Amino acid sequence: MPAMQNAYPSTKLSVHDTVKTRTCTSCKKTISPDEKPVIFLCPNCGKVEIIRCNMCRKQGVKYVCPVCGFVGP
Amino acid sequence: MSSEESRMKSEIESHALELLVPIDQYLAAGVHIGTYVCNKAMREFVYRIRPDGLYVLDVRKIDERLRIAAKMISRYEPDKIVAVSVRQYGHQSVKKFSQYVRSKSITGRVIPGILTNPHLEYYMEPELVVVTDPRADQQIITEAFRIGIPVVSFSDTDNRIDGIDLIIPANNKGRRSLALLYWILTRQVLRERGELMPNADLPEPPDAFETRIGGKA
Repeated sequence: MPAMQNAYPSTKLSVHDTVKTRTCTSCKKTISPDEKPVIFLCPNCGKVEIIRCNMCRKQGVKYVCPVCGFVGP
Repeated sequence: MSSEESRMKSEIESHALELLVPIDQYLAAGVHIGTYVCNKAMREFVYRIRPDGLYVLDVRKIDERLRIAAKMISRYEPDKIVAVSVRQYGHQSVKKFSQYVRSKSITGRVIPGILTNPHLEYYMEPELVVVTDPRADQQIITEAFRIGIPVVSFSDTDNRIDGIDLIIPANNKGRRSLALLYWILTRQVLRERGELMPNADLPEPPDAFETRIGGKA
Protein backbone atom coordinates (compact mmCIF):
# COMPACT_ATOMS: atom_id res chain seq x y z
CA MET A 1 0.00 0.00 0.00
CA PRO A 2 1.53 3.37 -1.00
CA ALA A 3 2.29 5.85 1.73
CA MET A 4 -0.32 8.59 2.14
CA GLN A 5 0.75 11.94 0.79
CA ASN A 6 -0.35 15.27 2.05
CA ALA A 7 -2.77 16.83 -0.43
CA TYR A 8 -2.15 20.32 0.96
CA PRO A 9 1.60 20.79 1.32
CA SER A 10 1.22 24.53 1.91
CA THR A 11 -0.43 23.82 5.26
CA LYS A 12 2.93 22.60 6.50
CA LEU A 13 4.36 26.11 6.36
CA SER A 14 4.93 27.68 9.69
CA VAL A 15 3.32 30.94 10.71
CA HIS A 16 6.67 32.70 10.49
CA ASP A 17 7.01 31.77 6.81
CA THR A 18 3.64 33.22 5.85
CA VAL A 19 3.32 36.24 8.13
CA LYS A 20 5.87 39.01 8.08
CA THR A 21 6.74 39.76 11.66
CA ARG A 22 7.23 43.36 12.70
CA THR A 23 9.10 44.72 15.66
CA CYS A 24 8.19 47.88 17.52
CA THR A 25 10.89 50.53 17.24
CA SER A 26 10.23 51.73 20.79
CA CYS A 27 9.85 48.57 22.88
CA LYS A 28 11.50 46.08 20.46
CA LYS A 29 8.68 43.59 20.97
CA THR A 30 7.21 41.56 18.11
CA ILE A 31 3.88 42.96 17.01
CA SER A 32 1.07 40.46 16.73
CA PRO A 33 -0.42 40.07 13.21
CA ASP A 34 -3.89 41.10 14.38
CA GLU A 35 -2.62 44.37 15.82
CA LYS A 36 -2.57 47.46 13.64
CA PRO A 37 0.64 49.38 14.31
CA VAL A 38 1.46 52.72 12.80
CA ILE A 39 4.21 52.67 10.18
CA PHE A 40 5.82 55.79 8.82
CA LEU A 41 9.17 56.91 7.50
CA CYS A 42 11.42 58.72 9.97
CA PRO A 43 10.14 62.31 10.05
CA ASN A 44 13.67 63.70 9.95
CA CYS A 45 15.64 61.60 7.45
CA GLY A 46 12.90 59.56 5.77
CA LYS A 47 15.23 56.60 5.28
CA VAL A 48 13.94 54.15 7.85
CA GLU A 49 10.46 52.89 8.65
CA ILE A 50 9.41 53.64 12.20
CA ILE A 51 6.96 51.08 13.55
CA ARG A 52 5.08 51.79 16.77
CA CYS A 53 2.87 49.25 18.49
CA ASN A 54 -0.46 50.31 19.95
CA MET A 55 0.77 50.23 23.52
CA CYS A 56 3.80 52.44 22.87
CA ARG A 57 1.62 54.80 20.90
CA LYS A 58 -0.93 54.98 23.66
CA GLN A 59 1.68 55.57 26.33
CA GLY A 60 3.71 58.01 24.28
CA VAL A 61 6.90 55.95 24.49
CA LYS A 62 9.80 57.59 22.71
CA TYR A 63 11.24 56.17 19.49
CA VAL A 64 14.72 56.72 18.12
CA CYS A 65 15.62 56.64 14.45
CA PRO A 66 18.51 54.18 13.98
CA VAL A 67 19.98 56.25 11.12
CA CYS A 68 19.73 59.90 12.12
CA GLY A 69 19.09 59.55 15.85
CA PHE A 70 15.91 61.59 15.81
CA VAL A 71 13.95 61.12 19.02
CA GLY A 72 10.19 61.28 18.81
CA PRO A 73 7.30 61.77 19.19
CA MET B 1 9.44 92.26 26.07
CA SER B 2 9.90 90.23 29.23
CA SER B 3 13.26 89.16 30.59
CA GLU B 4 13.11 85.57 29.35
CA GLU B 5 12.09 86.73 25.89
CA SER B 6 15.05 89.08 25.66
CA ARG B 7 17.33 86.36 27.02
CA MET B 8 16.06 83.84 24.46
CA LYS B 9 16.52 86.42 21.71
CA SER B 10 20.08 87.22 22.74
CA GLU B 11 20.96 83.51 22.96
CA ILE B 12 19.64 82.87 19.48
CA GLU B 13 21.44 85.90 18.09
CA SER B 14 24.69 84.96 19.81
CA HIS B 15 24.61 81.44 18.35
CA ALA B 16 23.70 82.89 14.92
CA LEU B 17 20.85 80.42 14.57
CA GLU B 18 18.76 80.85 11.49
CA LEU B 19 15.07 80.50 12.22
CA LEU B 20 12.26 80.15 9.72
CA VAL B 21 10.96 83.59 10.64
CA PRO B 22 12.65 86.30 12.74
CA ILE B 23 12.59 85.68 16.47
CA ASP B 24 10.62 88.91 16.99
CA GLN B 25 7.81 87.58 14.84
CA TYR B 26 7.67 84.38 16.87
CA LEU B 27 7.60 86.30 20.13
CA ALA B 28 5.03 88.84 18.90
CA ALA B 29 2.64 86.03 17.94
CA GLY B 30 3.20 84.36 21.31
CA VAL B 31 4.02 80.91 19.97
CA HIS B 32 6.28 80.34 22.98
CA ILE B 33 3.64 80.97 25.64
CA GLY B 34 2.72 77.74 27.38
CA THR B 35 0.30 77.12 30.22
CA TYR B 36 0.46 76.78 34.00
CA VAL B 37 0.39 72.98 33.67
CA CYS B 38 3.11 70.86 32.13
CA ASN B 39 3.14 67.17 31.26
CA LYS B 40 6.25 65.10 31.65
CA ALA B 41 6.45 64.42 27.91
CA MET B 42 6.31 68.13 27.11
CA ARG B 43 8.95 69.12 29.66
CA GLU B 44 11.79 68.64 27.17
CA PHE B 45 10.40 71.49 25.06
CA VAL B 46 10.18 73.97 27.97
CA TYR B 47 12.69 76.79 28.05
CA ARG B 48 11.98 78.00 31.59
CA ILE B 49 9.26 78.53 34.14
CA ARG B 50 8.22 82.06 34.98
CA PRO B 51 8.03 83.06 38.67
CA ASP B 52 4.24 82.97 38.44
CA GLY B 53 4.36 79.33 37.26
CA LEU B 54 3.83 79.85 33.53
CA TYR B 55 5.80 77.47 31.34
CA VAL B 56 7.61 79.07 28.41
CA LEU B 57 8.42 76.96 25.35
CA ASP B 58 11.77 77.04 23.58
CA VAL B 59 11.49 78.80 20.23
CA ARG B 60 14.45 76.89 18.79
CA LYS B 61 12.70 73.58 19.41
CA ILE B 62 9.46 74.89 17.92
CA ASP B 63 11.40 75.97 14.83
CA GLU B 64 13.22 72.64 14.57
CA ARG B 65 10.02 70.63 14.90
CA LEU B 66 8.26 72.76 12.29
CA ARG B 67 11.01 71.92 9.82
CA ILE B 68 10.80 68.21 10.64
CA ALA B 69 7.00 68.19 10.40
CA ALA B 70 7.18 69.92 7.03
CA LYS B 71 9.61 67.28 5.78
CA MET B 72 7.26 64.55 6.95
CA ILE B 73 4.15 66.14 5.44
CA SER B 74 5.88 66.76 2.11
CA ARG B 75 6.53 63.00 1.70
CA TYR B 76 2.81 62.24 1.47
CA GLU B 77 0.47 62.74 -1.46
CA PRO B 78 -1.41 66.03 -0.97
CA ASP B 79 -4.85 64.46 -1.15
CA LYS B 80 -3.86 61.85 1.43
CA ILE B 81 -3.35 64.47 4.14
CA VAL B 82 -6.12 65.80 6.32
CA ALA B 83 -5.80 68.83 8.60
CA VAL B 84 -8.22 69.09 11.49
CA SER B 85 -9.33 71.86 13.81
CA VAL B 86 -12.38 71.60 16.00
CA ARG B 87 -11.55 74.85 17.78
CA GLN B 88 -12.74 77.99 16.07
CA TYR B 89 -9.41 79.80 16.23
CA GLY B 90 -7.88 77.19 13.93
CA HIS B 91 -10.58 77.16 11.25
CA GLN B 92 -9.13 79.76 8.93
CA SER B 93 -5.58 78.49 9.45
CA VAL B 94 -6.55 74.94 8.55
CA LYS B 95 -8.55 76.07 5.51
CA LYS B 96 -5.64 78.13 4.21
CA PHE B 97 -3.19 75.33 4.90
CA SER B 98 -5.38 72.92 2.92
CA GLN B 99 -5.79 75.40 0.11
CA TYR B 100 -2.05 75.84 -0.39
CA VAL B 101 -0.98 72.26 0.35
CA ARG B 102 -4.00 70.86 -1.58
CA SER B 103 -4.95 68.60 1.28
CA LYS B 104 -8.32 67.85 2.86
CA SER B 105 -9.54 69.74 5.88
CA ILE B 106 -12.01 69.22 8.67
CA THR B 107 -13.17 72.28 10.54
CA GLY B 108 -15.74 72.10 13.26
CA ARG B 109 -17.15 68.91 14.63
CA VAL B 110 -15.55 65.65 13.57
CA ILE B 111 -18.25 63.17 12.66
CA PRO B 112 -17.53 59.90 14.46
CA GLY B 113 -16.61 57.17 11.99
CA ILE B 114 -15.22 59.57 9.41
CA LEU B 115 -12.07 57.41 9.17
CA THR B 116 -13.49 54.09 10.29
CA ASN B 117 -17.02 53.71 8.87
CA PRO B 118 -17.08 53.21 5.07
CA HIS B 119 -20.87 53.58 4.97
CA LEU B 120 -20.71 57.24 5.93
CA GLU B 121 -21.12 59.91 3.32
CA TYR B 122 -18.09 61.80 4.63
CA TYR B 123 -15.86 58.74 4.89
CA MET B 124 -12.24 59.35 3.89
CA GLU B 125 -9.05 57.33 3.90
CA PRO B 126 -6.14 59.67 4.57
CA GLU B 127 -2.59 58.55 5.27
CA LEU B 128 -1.58 61.42 7.57
CA VAL B 129 -3.51 63.55 10.03
CA VAL B 130 -2.45 67.05 11.12
CA VAL B 131 -4.09 68.06 14.36
CA THR B 132 -4.40 71.51 15.93
CA ASP B 133 -5.26 70.69 19.52
CA PRO B 134 -5.09 67.10 20.83
CA ARG B 135 -7.65 67.84 23.52
CA ALA B 136 -10.32 69.22 21.21
CA ASP B 137 -9.46 66.88 18.35
CA GLN B 138 -9.55 63.72 20.43
CA GLN B 139 -12.07 62.02 18.11
CA ILE B 140 -9.85 62.13 15.03
CA ILE B 141 -6.82 61.00 17.05
CA THR B 142 -8.77 58.00 18.36
CA GLU B 143 -9.86 57.03 14.86
CA ALA B 144 -6.38 57.49 13.42
CA PHE B 145 -5.08 55.33 16.26
CA ARG B 146 -7.58 52.61 15.40
CA ILE B 147 -6.77 52.45 11.69
CA GLY B 148 -3.03 52.95 12.21
CA ILE B 149 -2.16 56.19 10.46
CA PRO B 150 0.40 58.70 11.76
CA VAL B 151 -0.69 61.87 13.56
CA VAL B 152 1.23 65.15 13.57
CA SER B 153 0.00 67.53 16.22
CA PHE B 154 0.59 70.97 17.67
CA SER B 155 0.85 70.40 21.40
CA ASP B 156 0.93 72.84 24.27
CA THR B 157 2.55 72.08 27.61
CA ASP B 158 -0.71 70.74 29.07
CA ASN B 159 -1.64 68.40 26.20
CA ARG B 160 -1.52 64.64 26.42
CA ILE B 161 0.62 62.99 23.77
CA ASP B 162 -1.06 59.59 23.52
CA GLY B 163 -1.68 58.58 19.94
CA ILE B 164 0.55 61.31 18.54
CA ASP B 165 3.54 60.38 16.39
CA LEU B 166 5.13 63.78 15.93
CA ILE B 167 4.74 66.68 18.33
CA ILE B 168 5.15 70.29 17.30
CA PRO B 169 5.43 72.10 20.63
CA ALA B 170 3.66 75.44 20.40
CA ASN B 171 0.97 77.64 21.81
CA ASN B 172 -2.15 76.17 20.18
CA LYS B 173 -4.57 78.39 22.09
CA GLY B 174 -3.87 81.78 20.54
CA ARG B 175 -5.35 82.99 17.29
CA ARG B 176 -2.24 84.78 16.11
CA SER B 177 -0.03 81.95 17.24
CA LEU B 178 -1.99 79.36 15.24
CA ALA B 179 -2.03 81.63 12.22
CA LEU B 180 1.74 82.06 12.27
CA LEU B 181 2.41 78.37 12.93
CA TYR B 182 0.24 77.19 10.04
CA TRP B 183 1.67 79.88 7.79
CA ILE B 184 5.22 78.70 8.51
CA LEU B 185 4.25 75.05 8.13
CA THR B 186 2.53 75.71 4.81
CA ARG B 187 5.46 77.66 3.45
CA GLN B 188 7.95 75.05 4.59
CA VAL B 189 5.93 72.18 3.09
CA LEU B 190 5.82 73.98 -0.26
CA ARG B 191 9.54 74.65 -0.06
CA GLU B 192 10.25 71.00 0.71
CA ARG B 193 8.13 69.93 -2.26
CA GLY B 194 9.94 72.37 -4.51
CA GLU B 195 6.80 74.31 -5.34
CA LEU B 196 8.26 77.39 -3.69
CA MET B 197 11.80 78.71 -3.99
CA PRO B 198 13.93 78.19 -0.85
CA ASN B 199 13.78 81.89 0.04
CA ALA B 200 10.35 82.66 -1.36
CA ASP B 201 7.32 83.51 0.75
CA LEU B 202 3.65 82.73 0.38
CA PRO B 203 1.59 85.30 -1.55
CA GLU B 204 -0.39 86.04 1.62
CA PRO B 205 0.94 87.23 4.97
CA PRO B 206 0.35 85.29 8.23
CA ASP B 207 -2.60 87.59 8.99
CA ALA B 208 -4.57 85.89 6.21
CA PHE B 209 -4.37 82.65 8.19
CA GLU B 210 -5.92 84.28 11.23
CA THR B 211 -9.52 83.50 12.11
CA ARG B 212 -11.66 86.63 12.31
CA ILE B 213 -14.61 86.39 14.62
CA GLY B 214 -17.41 88.93 14.45
CA GLY B 215 -15.67 90.97 11.79
CA LYS B 216 -12.78 91.83 14.15
CA ALA B 217 -9.16 91.08 13.43
